[in-house]
Amino acid sequence: MGFLAPWFLAGLAALALPVYIHLLRQHRAQPMRFSSLMFFERRLQSSVRHRRLRHLLLFALRAALVALLVLAFANPYMDRPVAVAGAGSRLTVIAVDNSFSMRAGGRLEKAKSEAQGLIATLPAGAPAQVLSFGSSVQVLTQPVTDRGELQAAVASIEAGDARSSYAELARVLRGLAASARRPLEVHLFSDMQRSSLPASFAELELPAGVRMKAHPAASSRVENWTVESVTAPHRVYDPSKVRVQAVVAGYGTPAAKRRISLVVGGRVLESREVEAPASGRAAVEFTRLEMPHGWAEAEVRLEPADALPEDDRYRFALERLEPQRILLVHEAGRSRAAFYVKSALEAAAGAAYGVDVATPEQCAGISPGRFAAVILSDAGTLPESFVRELREYVRAGGGLLIAAGSGAAARRLLPVAAGRVLSVRYAGREEERFLSAGAVDAAHPVLARVNRLEGVKFFQTAVLETDGGRVLARLSDQSPLLVEQKLGAGRILLFASTLDNLWNDFPLRASFVPFIEQAAHYLAGVADSPPAYVVDSFFELRAASEPASSLEVFDPGRKRVLSLAESATARSIALARQGFYEVRRANGRRELVAVNTDRRESDLEVLSADAISLWQGAGQGAAEGGSESETARVSLWWYVMLGVALLSLAESVVGARYLGKEKTP
Amino acid sequence: MLQRFLSPSVLAGISGLELVAKTVVEGFVAGLHRSPDFGFSQEFAEYRAYSEGDDLRHVDWNVFARTERAYLKRYRGETNTLVTVLLDASASMGFGTHGVKKIDYARFLCASIFYLAIHQQRDGAGIIVFDDEVRNFVPPSTRHGQLYRLLHALEGAEPRARTDFARPFVHFQQFLRRRGVVVVVSDFYEDPVKVVRTMEPLRFRGSEVLLFHVLDPGEIEPRLDGPALLIDMETGGSLEVSPEYAASEYRAKIDAHIAGLRDRSKAAGMDYFLLDTSRPLDEALREYLSLRAGRM
Repeated sequence: MGFLAPWFLAGLAALALPVYIHLLRQHRAQPMRFSSLMFFERRLQSSVRHRRLRHLLLFALRAALVALLVLAFANPYMDRPVAVAGAGSRLTVIAVDNSFSMRAGGRLEKAKSEAQGLIATLPAGAPAQVLSFGSSVQVLTQPVTDRGELQAAVASIEAGDARSSYAELARVLRGLAASARRPLEVHLFSDMQRSSLPASFAELELPAGVRMKAHPAASSRVENWTVESVTAPHRVYDPSKVRVQAVVAGYGTPAAKRRISLVVGGRVLESREVEAPASGRAAVEFTRLEMPHGWAEAEVRLEPADALPEDDRYRFALERLEPQRILLVHEAGRSRAAFYVKSALEAAAGAAYGVDVATPEQCAGISPGRFAAVILSDAGTLPESFVRELREYVRAGGGLLIAAGSGAAARRLLPVAAGRVLSVRYAGREEERFLSAGAVDAAHPVLARVNRLEGVKFFQTAVLETDGGRVLARLSDQSPLLVEQKLGAGRILLFASTLDNLWNDFPLRASFVPFIEQAAHYLAGVADSPPAYVVDSFFELRAASEPASSLEVFDPGRKRVLSLAESATARSIALARQGFYEVRRANGRRELVAVNTDRRESDLEVLSADAISLWQGAGQGAAEGGSESETARVSLWWYVMLGVALLSLAESVVGARYLGKEKTP
Repeated sequence: MLQRFLSPSVLAGISGLELVAKTVVEGFVAGLHRSPDFGFSQEFAEYRAYSEGDDLRHVDWNVFARTERAYLKRYRGETNTLVTVLLDASASMGFGTHGVKKIDYARFLCASIFYLAIHQQRDGAGIIVFDDEVRNFVPPSTRHGQLYRLLHALEGAEPRARTDFARPFVHFQQFLRRRGVVVVVSDFYEDPVKVVRTMEPLRFRGSEVLLFHVLDPGEIEPRLDGPALLIDMETGGSLEVSPEYAASEYRAKIDAHIAGLRDRSKAAGMDYFLLDTSRPLDEALREYLSLRAGRM
C-alpha cells in the first residue's frame, strides 16, 4: 500500500482540532455568580460523566473523519496481483491503422501482411482481438482463439479516408483493459505518422498491464505533394467575376515545378505551372471559370502524381445561378440610397444580386414575389395594394429591409412591420455631434462582418418603438438601430436611419458593403455554406424547424447513405469518404457536397524511434518483470470517500442528538 | 388597578424608596377597602354621648347639626407598638436573576412596612442592618422625620460580607429591650436550627417575630443551560454544577431547608413567610398586617 500524494499526510495535524474541541474546550464550564453554594456538593455529577462519554464518541467520529479526509487527499492505493498470469491468459490485441495515409506506398498491405504473420505465430488457445482505427476505432472481432476468424478480420480491412488518431486508440485500449480484467498485449500496425499524435502525450497513456509493441509500416519519410486548400464561392452568379485560389503544399519535397489544373465537370478549364520551394507552399489563382447553370463537380488537380495520388485533387462543388433581383423602393427625387445599395451589391464578391429601383407610385403594378428581397428606403406613402402584397410576400417567406428616414418619421407608421417611429433624433452642436453604434450582435449573420460598425457616424436617427422584435444593434444612446422582426415565415429588418449619406456616413464606410451583401443573403434566405467539407465532418440535411420530408443521399460510390426511415428523419450525415455526395430533396432540388481528406494526413513524416519507445513504455511501468509478478495498482480513494460519507452521517446524527439534549432545559 | 404597580419589576423602575413605599401601601390599602375580610386601624366602632373633658376634635358635627346633640365618634384599635426590622445585607442578598435583586426587594418591603407603620398606624419603627455584624442601627421612634432616617438607612444597605446571625445578635439584644414586632428580612443561608435559636430570646421577651425569607426564583428553581461553574457570592468559592443536579438534588435540598425553617420557626412561636422576589409585595404586607392586627 502507498500514497500517490503522501505530502498531504501532513494534514493529519488537523487532528489537533477535535482534540482541542473535545478534551480542552469541553471542560471549561460557564462561570456564574450564585448567592450561596450551601446546597451544592463538591463531587462529580453523574450527568457530566455521561456527557463526557458521549463526547468521546463524538470525538472519535470527528477525529476519524479528519483522518479519512486527509487520507483521501493523499490518495492511497494498493498493489494487487493481477488475477491471472501466463501466456494463455494474456489477450493479444491487433490494431491495424486504416487511415488515409496508409494508402501511400502499399503501407496498408504491408501492415495487414505483418498482422497475418503475427496471428500465425500466436500460441494455440491464446485469445486475440482485431481492431482497425482511423479517427475512430472499429472492433472487428471479439476476443477469440480461432485464427481463421482473426485472419479474415484482418483481410477485410480497407483503406479509409479518415485521419488517424492515436489518442482515440489509447482511449479505447484503456477501456478494453478495464473491461478485459487481464493483461493486454497490443500489436500496433501503423505508418506511425507524426501528425496523428495528440497535442498532449498524456492522452496516449496506457494503463498498467497493457504492453504495446509497434510494427511500423513505414520507416522513413516519403515525399508527398498535395493541394492543401481551395478558396472558391459555393454559388456562382457571374463566372467572369469568380476567382478560384488554390494552395499547393509539399511535405519533405525538394523545390520543384508542379502543374496545377482547374477541372470543372470533367473538363480542364485552366492549367498553371507553379514553382514551389522545398517543403513549402505555393498559391495559384484561376480566373477563368466557365460552367453551365446548375451543379458542377470541380477540382483542382496537381500533376504529376506522387506516392499518395489521392490527395493531389481537391474537390469542391459549384452551383451556377442567375443573379437574383432585389426591389428597392425610394421616394422620387431621393435616389442616393439606390446608388449606394446598387454599388455595394455590385462590389460584393459574386455579384449575386441585381437591383430594380422603383418609386412608390410605380409600385402599384409590381409583384414583390418576383424578388429575392425588398428594400424600402424611406419610401413615402406606398399604394395600399402593394402594401397588401408585400405583407403576403413576407408571410410566405420573403425578406424586407425598411430604412426609416424623414418620410417614415412624418407618417409615424412603418409599412408591414409592427411598430412605429416615435420621433426623429438630431445630433447637434448643443449636445453630442453624432451618435455611434453601441451594442452590436456580431453573432448575427447580417452583422458578422461589419466590424461592429466602428467609425460610422449617425447624425439623425429615427426613434423606433418596436413590438416584440429582436434588437440586433443599438446606438450609443441605447436606442435600437437595427431590429429584426418575424412575420409568418419571413423576416423584416428595421434600420433606424437611412441608406444614403444624409442621415449618416454609413454608405461611405467599408462596413456598408458587407452589411448590404449579408442583409441581402439573409433576407433572400441564401445559406452561406462552404464549397467543400473535410472527411468526418457533418453535413446538415435540414434545420430543426423544417418539416420532415423525404430526401436521398448518395455517397461518392453512388450508394444510398440513409435507410428509408432515416431519409425522413435524419437531420445530418457524417461525411466518411472523400468525393462528391449528392443530396436529392423532395422538391426535386439537387445538391452536391464535396468532401476532401484532412490534409494533415498528407504529411507522411513518421514518429521518431524515441517517441515510439516512449509510448510503448507508457503502460509497462508496473508490468515489467515477467508475467508471474505482475501487479495492478488499485486506488482506495473511493473506499476512503465512502468512509468519509458514512462518518459524516454518523457525526451528524450523534452531534444532533447531543446538541438537541443540550438545548432542551 | 393599582395592584399591577406592586409588581417588583415595576417598583424597581421607581426612584426613591418613599415613592415606592407610598405606591405600594396606598395601592395595597385601596385594595383592602374593597375587601370585606379585613378591618383595622381607624375603624369606626360606635357613637358616644359627649361628656365634659372629651376632645372636641372627635365630636361628629354632622350629627350635631341634625340633632343638636353632641356625639363622639369612637374608633377601634388605637394601640401603638414598636416595629423593628432586621435587614440582612450580606453579599448573597445581591443575587437576582430577573431584574430585581433580593436586596432591592427587601428594601421595597422594609420601606413599605415603615410607611405603613408610621403613616397609617402611628407605630414607632426602627431598623438594624446587619451582615456578619451590625452595620447600621436606627432605633425605633415615632419622631418626625423618622421615616426619612429609616429610608436613608435602607438606601445605604448595600450587600457585602457574609450572613452570620450569632455575632450581631449580641447587639440585637442590646437594641431590642422593649417589646414589639421584630421583622427579620433575610435569605437565611444558615442552618434553620441556628436561626431559630438566635431569634428565640426575642420571642421569649414577648416580641412578635416575623421571618421574611427572601429568595430569588433562580434560587428556588435554578435553570442552567449547561454545566456551570458557580461562584459563591459570599465566600468566593466555586463549584462545577450540572443542570441535572440543579434540577433534582438541589431542589430537594432547598425545599428541605425552607420546610425546616418554616417548621422550626412555627414551633418557636415565630411567623415565617417565604417571599419570591418575582411576586408582588402585597402578600408580604398582608402577612405583616395580620400579625399586627393580632397584636392589637
